[in-house]
Amino acid sequence: MMQFTHTAPPPSPLHPNGHGGLGLGLFLDAGAPRARPWPGSFPTPASKISLGNLNSTSCMEQLLVHCANAIEANDATLTQQILWVLNNIAPPDGDSNQRLTAAFLCALVARASRTGACKAVTAAVAAAVESAALHVHRFTAVELASFVDLTPWHRFGYTAANAAILEAVEGFPVVHVVELGTTHCMQIPTLIDMLASRAEGPPILRLTVADVASNAPPPALDMSYEELGAKLINFARSRNVTMDFRVVTTTPADAFTSLVDQLRVQQLVLDGSEALVVNCHMLLHTVPDETAGSVNLAQPVSLRTMLLKSLRTLDPNLVVVVEEDADFTAGDVVGRLRAAFNFLWIPYDAVDTFLPKGSEQRRWYEAEIGWKVENVLAQEGVERVERQEDRGRWGQRMRSAGFRAVAFGEEAAGEVKAMLNEHAAGWGMKREDDDLVLTWKGHNVVFASAWAPS
Amino acid sequence: MAMGGAFPFQWPAEPADPGLDVALPPLPTAVPDAGMASYYAADAATVPMAPPPDFAAALAAMRREEEEAAGIRLVHLLMSCAGAVEAGDHAAASACLADAHAALAAVSPASGIGRVAVHFTAALSRRLFPPTPSPPPPPAAGDVVADHAFLYHHFYEAGPYLKFAHFTANQAILEAVQGCKHVHIIDFNLMQGLQWPALIQALALRPGGPPFLRLTGIGPPSPPGRDDLRDVGVRLADLARSVRVHFSFRGVAANRLDEVRPWMLQVSQGEAVAVNSVLQLHRLVADPTAADAAPIDAVLDCVSSMRPRVFTVVEQEADHNKPGFLDRFTEALFYYSAVFDSLDAASGGAVDAAAEAYLEREICDIVCAEGAERRERHEPLRRWRDRLGRAGLAGVPLGVNALRQARMLVGLFSGEGHCVEEADGCLTL
Repeated sequence: MMQFTHTAPPPSPLHPNGHGGLGLGLFLDAGAPRARPWPGSFPTPASKISLGNLNSTSCMEQLLVHCANAIEANDATLTQQILWVLNNIAPPDGDSNQRLTAAFLCALVARASRTGACKAVTAAVAAAVESAALHVHRFTAVELASFVDLTPWHRFGYTAANAAILEAVEGFPVVHVVELGTTHCMQIPTLIDMLASRAEGPPILRLTVADVASNAPPPALDMSYEELGAKLINFARSRNVTMDFRVVTTTPADAFTSLVDQLRVQQLVLDGSEALVVNCHMLLHTVPDETAGSVNLAQPVSLRTMLLKSLRTLDPNLVVVVEEDADFTAGDVVGRLRAAFNFLWIPYDAVDTFLPKGSEQRRWYEAEIGWKVENVLAQEGVERVERQEDRGRWGQRMRSAGFRAVAFGEEAAGEVKAMLNEHAAGWGMKREDDDLVLTWKGHNVVFASAWAPS
Repeated sequence: MAMGGAFPFQWPAEPADPGLDVALPPLPTAVPDAGMASYYAADAATVPMAPPPDFAAALAAMRREEEEAAGIRLVHLLMSCAGAVEAGDHAAASACLADAHAALAAVSPASGIGRVAVHFTAALSRRLFPPTPSPPPPPAAGDVVADHAFLYHHFYEAGPYLKFAHFTANQAILEAVQGCKHVHIIDFNLMQGLQWPALIQALALRPGGPPFLRLTGIGPPSPPGRDDLRDVGVRLADLARSVRVHFSFRGVAANRLDEVRPWMLQVSQGEAVAVNSVLQLHRLVADPTAADAAPIDAVLDCVSSMRPRVFTVVEQEADHNKPGFLDRFTEALFYYSAVFDSLDAASGGAVDAAAEAYLEREICDIVCAEGAERRERHEPLRRWRDRLGRAGLAGVPLGVNALRQARMLVGLFSGEGHCVEEADGCLTL
């Protein structure tokens, strides 16, 4: 005996009680005598009422969020289901949204492989996922120089900083630049050039570089700092600039104590003819902030606060802070996921304008972003070094540490604009308070700020 | 002199110091076949002994060996029993069974062999001593179905098998219907529709947009007042609506797959058909000794006639359809030992009684049922491939993508020991 049941509900407008997405393990038949759960309670992107466009980017973000939640809840079944879906809709060689999602997917798999729900990280998993860490390219100096020039991401900070530095060290016969950056002194050759053409003649340049190899975000250099230093000295010499180069091995995990101590000793013998400039280019965010624990002094302070106060005690002439304008410090992985997804779409979007598909440089470029995503999502504690904070927060920190903002002059702004003209039309610049901000299609990307003791 | 029972725990300060007690390895427990040597303490003065390594570790190792030995004994007993059953020697079988029950006591229920042996012993018991001729009234049909759904759900969650089946089949379906605007999926056993949310989501976001999706779900008839198939259909429809996939559902209630005729499935011209069968086909296979045509052939002809884009088949990779009882019993014992072991690994030692109960039903069917009553007729891959080939269905290799994903997903969540292999385009777990 047979019966036919036919159900063809007509498509109707979305109603707000999206059942499946209200959470994990939701029991729908709560009232029925035999509660039969909708196993896995597969969530849907639209279940958080979206009145706007259900475009695929927000779908992917929602799926990633659901996946992250499933991992945190140790729900292996749901995580598997969502990973399977994501794997199919976000191929690593698709459009920029798909590649962005694929990078996040990899990071989530890396995270899942470290949590309780995951029983074993087999060789197969590692191979399938292709951890971002495996793909970090070691650049030669020449490769790196042209690599950082491909996009304003770093050039913006270099240009603004160098302009501010030049102005701040006017009249000083000796200039000491402390380089706290992630791009291995790529800013320096231009600075040397600018100092060389100073009206009053070049100063003696002292360069102290922080070597943070073990905790460093990419890009990675394939030579030692000694070799790099030698090249820089040669270059300086060719511009008639006397240069002194020093490397200090240090780590953000202790707020660069070894570097700061060394600088403190040097300050004791100053006679006022030396200008001290601290150039911070995207390395400050690797120093642990309040969310990463605190150091106990008279009252608990974060290493980040401690570092800024230490810098203040050195009485520098100028501190330049160039950072990505985003906040990746949320304690929960979902918060960080949303922040990272809503910022790192930018480099994926921009890359199409300057690097062809399949090119080696594009692979390096995207591998860097993948590294960042994996660090933000899959790492915890000391290993997580991508702890960006936004412009407002950094400003507060600098002011609390005893600095006042130094506005960028018209010349600086002009140089930045000229530099931007060499790149795609989507890049722009604006002023916010005393800072300069690099934008892509109107969204804030990187900010540059300059500070002097108040 | 022999040391019986007491284990001295003093460590000699120096080897062969006659003044101190010497720690001795424990005596083995008495065994029926008495094949093991007994240890006796020799005079301390004549046996120089180095300080023993960690005594507790040695004790644990000894216990493990005993357990293993007990386990092996138990397996032998069960197989002897099965041999006696095949030979028709009821008395010998009973005796073996009694021994097996005794041996069970020596085996820890925490070990893989322990739990699976319990079920096989119970099944043998049922076969030898079937329940009284007037069985209690069968439970209400609805309860049976709901019970089965409950156990199925637990089995789904407890181990990797059904999950692997679903996402691998879904991968094949997704790839087979690429670019098709109208897709009709026929699910031979809808259950709670666990397989479909992920596929609907993937179809929703595929490049080029989602297809018009129809799902025909086959399942047992519901008791009066309920329509289980429709309930699942409604939920899936809600989900599809929320991701903007045009979706319609149709339930087909049937007690057996061979009762379903092609016209009931209402396949339309121009739609891409995907037929999905997870652990259903083996129930239609005939007794190898039976002469008449098996229901499976009719069903495969039905599938063929629909000219599907893909027919995803998931089955147990085992040969539990052998005519000889002992052969069948032995195969099943080792197969289900592995499955129980794997559930252990996947759950980290926690026992899911409902998942085991699901498997127990299969075991009971294989061991106790004969002829038309036996439904669990598992056959290995090569025989399925031949059978499907005879029905006009050619194998479609599951792509590299499917293999890679399967390995990743299984590897992430199922523990050591699980492995996805590829053989001639098929994936096995």
